[in-house]
Amino acid sequence: MDFEFSDDQRAILDAAEALLAQHAGPARAAEKGAAGEYDYELHAALASAGFSEVALGPGTGFLEATLLCRAVARAGGSVAYGAGALVAPAVAGRALPGPVALARADDAAPIRFGADAKTLLLDAGDEARVVRLEPGAAARVRTNFLWPMGRVAVAPGASTSLGPGSGARMRRWWRVALAAELVGCMESALAITLDYVKRRRQFGRAIGSFQAVQHRLALATVMLEGSRWLTYEAAALGAPDESAALAAAHASDAAQLVFRETHQLTGAMGYTREHPLHVFSMRLAALRHEMGGLAAQRREVARARWALA
Amino acid sequence: MNFEWSEDDARFREELRAFLDAELPPDWEELSRHGPGSDVQAAFSRGFCAKLARRGWLTQSWPREYGGADATPWRHAILSEEMWRRGEPRGSQYMNVNWIGPAIMKFGSEAQKRTHLGRISKGDVLWCQGFSEPEAGSDLAALRTQAVRSGDDYVVTGSKIWTSYVNGAEFCFLLVRTDPASKRHKGITVLLAPMDAKGIEVREIPSVVGERYFHELFFSEARIPADCRLGPEGEGWDVVGYALAYERVGAMRYARAALMLDAIAAHAAARGLAGDPAVQEKLGAARATVEAARLLSYRVIDLRARGSAPTADTNVARVAGTLCENAVSDLALELFGPGALEYGHPGDAYFRLAMTAGVAVGTTEINLNLIASRMLELPRE
Repeated sequence: MDFEFSDDQRAILDAAEALLAQHAGPARAAEKGAAGEYDYELHAALASAGFSEVALGPGTGFLEATLLCRAVARAGGSVAYGAGALVAPAVAGRALPGPVALARADDAAPIRFGADAKTLLLDAGDEARVVRLEPGAAARVRTNFLWPMGRVAVAPGASTSLGPGSGARMRRWWRVALAAELVGCMESALAITLDYVKRRRQFGRAIGSFQAVQHRLALATVMLEGSRWLTYEAAALGAPDESAALAAAHASDAAQLVFRETHQLTGAMGYTREHPLHVFSMRLAALRHEMGGLAAQRREVARARWALA
Repeated sequence: MNFEWSEDDARFREELRAFLDAELPPDWEELSRHGPGSDVQAAFSRGFCAKLARRGWLTQSWPREYGGADATPWRHAILSEEMWRRGEPRGSQYMNVNWIGPAIMKFGSEAQKRTHLGRISKGDVLWCQGFSEPEAGSDLAALRTQAVRSGDDYVVTGSKIWTSYVNGAEFCFLLVRTDPASKRHKGITVLLAPMDAKGIEVREIPSVVGERYFHELFFSEARIPADCRLGPEGEGWDVVGYALAYERVGAMRYARAALMLDAIAAHAAARGLAGDPAVQEKLGAARATVEAARLLSYRVIDLRARGSAPTADTNVARVAGTLCENAVSDLALELFGPGALEYGHPGDAYFRLAMTAGVAVGTTEINLNLIASRMLELPRE
């Protein structure tokens, strides 16, 4: 047992954070998000620095990719890092041409990164399937949820199977990636809100000095911290069924609380595009409904733990 | 970063489980439903802890010089998990090992260390804790029990309340005010008070939690020898802070919750509810709170293993533990059904064990206050 980052992990994270400070951040995310645009510049910067290949890299692996996935989400990156650098290599055993988007084969609803993806990874039940997307295969979808989104039309017979059992592998790592993104977005949403309640004064005092406010932020912190460690553990253990579902379930649960409390405590200011909260809160609201949402994640925990089905 | 047990630790857990299977009597499960404060469990703990001590397991994480084996805090966490899982056969003695001993190690005189640490590590002494008073609960620093120095003694007058594990206790880890003019955190002193001193009276307060769970202690000019004082006079608040950090994450209560939740799920499946999406959802949600509590407690153990001073991570773990116990105990009544209303039913026993989680060892509100001030650095006024 060891709950600290290794020196190597620390070094990778520091380097990634330095890059993200330069190429990402809430202001850029707000701009990209409002336009529904994919951040190709950030995508290229992450790739050329080698961060897109850590999952299969020498001396690094899926835990490091998960840590980076959280860091990218926390920095407001408008890129498909989790799908391309974590889920795709875990399922295919190799990198797939990015951006990569993830979808369920039985669902034609709009998906994150759908309009920009070169590769679509499909959860088709027992197997995962890969679809090479041609330009024009997807339509951009207007959204208020700050992720670039699109609706993808897949021609029948255009996909390749990754083999029996690859579907479950995809869902396990999708859950870990989702949990890591939820954790990253929650960290920023809470940090922004903490900063706000320390500065904002009403009744002659900082609103963060009121116990009613403090307890809510403290409880949100408890939920966030639990989500963080569940996510790290799931990634470090190779995304076992139960562990991956636990991370996604708890983080989705926490995200619901974090969304409500951060908006409640930042008042009207938090809803504006001038304030950075909306980038992370709106992304959280979208993320916690991915893969069937909180209820589905919880049922998956029950299935994995006790074979309840 | 590594979330796997070392081979040694995994082997220790196996040995411990085999030991428990061999040592716990066939009717233990039923016996344990009386609760750790009950007379039967207090009596059982004496023989049981002595056996644990002979194996070298009771205080293995203590330093060698005090009867330990310098084992890592992880070893002690495994011990605590396995004990809570099985209904805590150490009875109240888990307190001795978790925080009373460590507090004496840090603040005690050589004589106190010799006397108390030796007995605790042999597993043959019971303690209780005299913190709360009728007017000092969450606001512990408002305590008023007076100790006036008189020759070689302190003369103690006042009362303590909500004290558990009084039956058979030989000593009380007692907080008193030695300076009558003092306010709040100053002027508080810790006494390692022998419970057979004249002038101490005990009254049980019947409760719905379980047998002998709460007591009131009355001190009427009880004479406690001055050499029972732990640490300097008037500086007891530091001792309390240190002790509480060990107390809040010491009993690995989520381990019992995990076992109970497995039993609840099995029962639900046997009732034909395995396919009910609402039941699956509730069980999955509760399981997530259990596992979050486990990892957040491990985070505290990890910091302890690194020798770092206690942080608000302890309070985070404690609140998470309470969320977990609340979630599981609600399901214990819901999914076991009305059968769980019968006294001694596993659902009833767990419900009683869990119902005080948000109040015992510092309320959830106090823990949230400490997270807000120490971790989130939110202003006081």
